[in-house]
Amino acid sequence: MVEKGQTKTFARKFVPRIIKAALLVIITYLPLYFLSAFIEPFQSFFPWYAPTTNLFAAVFMIFLVVGVFTSGTIYQYVFGVARTLVTMIFFIYVLNGGIVALAVPVEGASVNIMVDLTVILAMIVLVCLLGIGKNVVQAIDFVSAKGETKEL
Amino acid sequence: MLKKLAKSGKSRLLSNPSKFSSKREDGQMRYAARALGWATKILWIMIIAFSVTSVYSAMNVRMGFGQPQAFVSSGFIVISVPLFVNNTGLYDLSELNMTVAVMDYNESLLSTSTTFVPLIPRGSSIETAHNVSMSLEDSISKLLNYLFNDTVFNLDMSLKLNFAHSIPFKVSTNMTMPWGAPLYNFSIGQVSYNFLNLTHQELITPISFENHSPYFSVDGFMRVEIYSDNGELLGFSVSGLNVPSHSGYDGQVETIVDISKVTGSGEGHFYFETSAFSIGPVVMPYG
Repeated sequence: MVEKGQTKTFARKFVPRIIKAALLVIITYLPLYFLSAFIEPFQSFFPWYAPTTNLFAAVFMIFLVVGVFTSGTIYQYVFGVARTLVTMIFFIYVLNGGIVALAVPVEGASVNIMVDLTVILAMIVLVCLLGIGKNVVQAIDFVSAKGETKEL
Repeated sequence: MLKKLAKSGKSRLLSNPSKFSSKREDGQMRYAARALGWATKILWIMIIAFSVTSVYSAMNVRMGFGQPQAFVSSGFIVISVPLFVNNTGLYDLSELNMTVAVMDYNESLLSTSTTFVPLIPRGSSIETAHNVSMSLEDSISKLLNYLFNDTVFNLDMSLKLNFAHSIPFKVSTNMTMPWGAPLYNFSIGQVSYNFLNLTHQELITPISFENHSPYFSVDGFMRVEIYSDNGELLGFSVSGLNVPSHSGYDGQVETIVDISKVTGSGEGHFYFETSAFSIGPVVMPYG
């Protein structure tokens, strides 16, 4: 009887989280999938892109799932910060610090292309920092709320 | 009953304290977090929208270099590189800067020039030619050699522009351009004399060269001055030239000279006046 009750509590607690995590993983994976499909024809010019993206996707999703399972605890925000940091590092690495350089062979000659994406990278870093700030503020709010609850 | 309600309320608060905090009067943290969340979301949307439209626009920009052409004009070798940009994207292209550096086979810089286009608005196109000039006027210059010897020019081309006024973009490439000398293998053969009278005779000078230039023909006049060993002018003559591209010239120049001054050998000074170039004197020994 007790075991049945525990199973029910477990199911009630974790099934929605599993569903939420699965949905978030799908929603996160879709843009990455489409981006990879879009990049595929140019894969030879960005050989570093696919392995980095796969690694990033894996790490990001792990943090996402763990974040969902630890929701309602301080770790939710810790993993939120970690996820945002991973995103920031990924973009800095993939965009090569803002300077993307390629050598494209065209009719026997090599055409060098250089794009300075510093502005976009700066915006991404800014957004990530805002995300980190948001998580930190939420964590502080969570801790203070918990403290107040204890006092009550 | 009241005790029971209080207990259940407390346990709910303990299980999710953040829910409790939303009801607090001092919920500024919550507002700050919410504001940061919205700012983050809006910025992400802006970045994604800008990135997607930028990629779309970049794919709709057609740009390229045409085949370089070379010609000689007013004492300059001019290398003309056609450039076209068709901007059918969503953003303007600004500060287009095209630079071409011409180097010879041993990588020494011959000339460099820049073309600047301040703005190519979206939905418009430009077609222009970028010209690089190298002076031929200085007869001592090695550039004069290019009239007599084939070579290969290396062109370092680079094109810089600002995409959407915020993304600097640079394309650079190396090209080689074969240069065919218009007076390749210019030489004079064995001179001969044709007796005219007691005081004068005709000096016959065989001349040959090949016009290797694919770009222009050698048409105009050639003035020949014959000098003795002592540096005295024996006589001069002018003959017409009409040598198309990739064809040879094999002719002779007859010059009436004073017998008393003839020394059997000396120098011929050649001056070329053609539609493409004017040079001289080109000094060749004879005899």
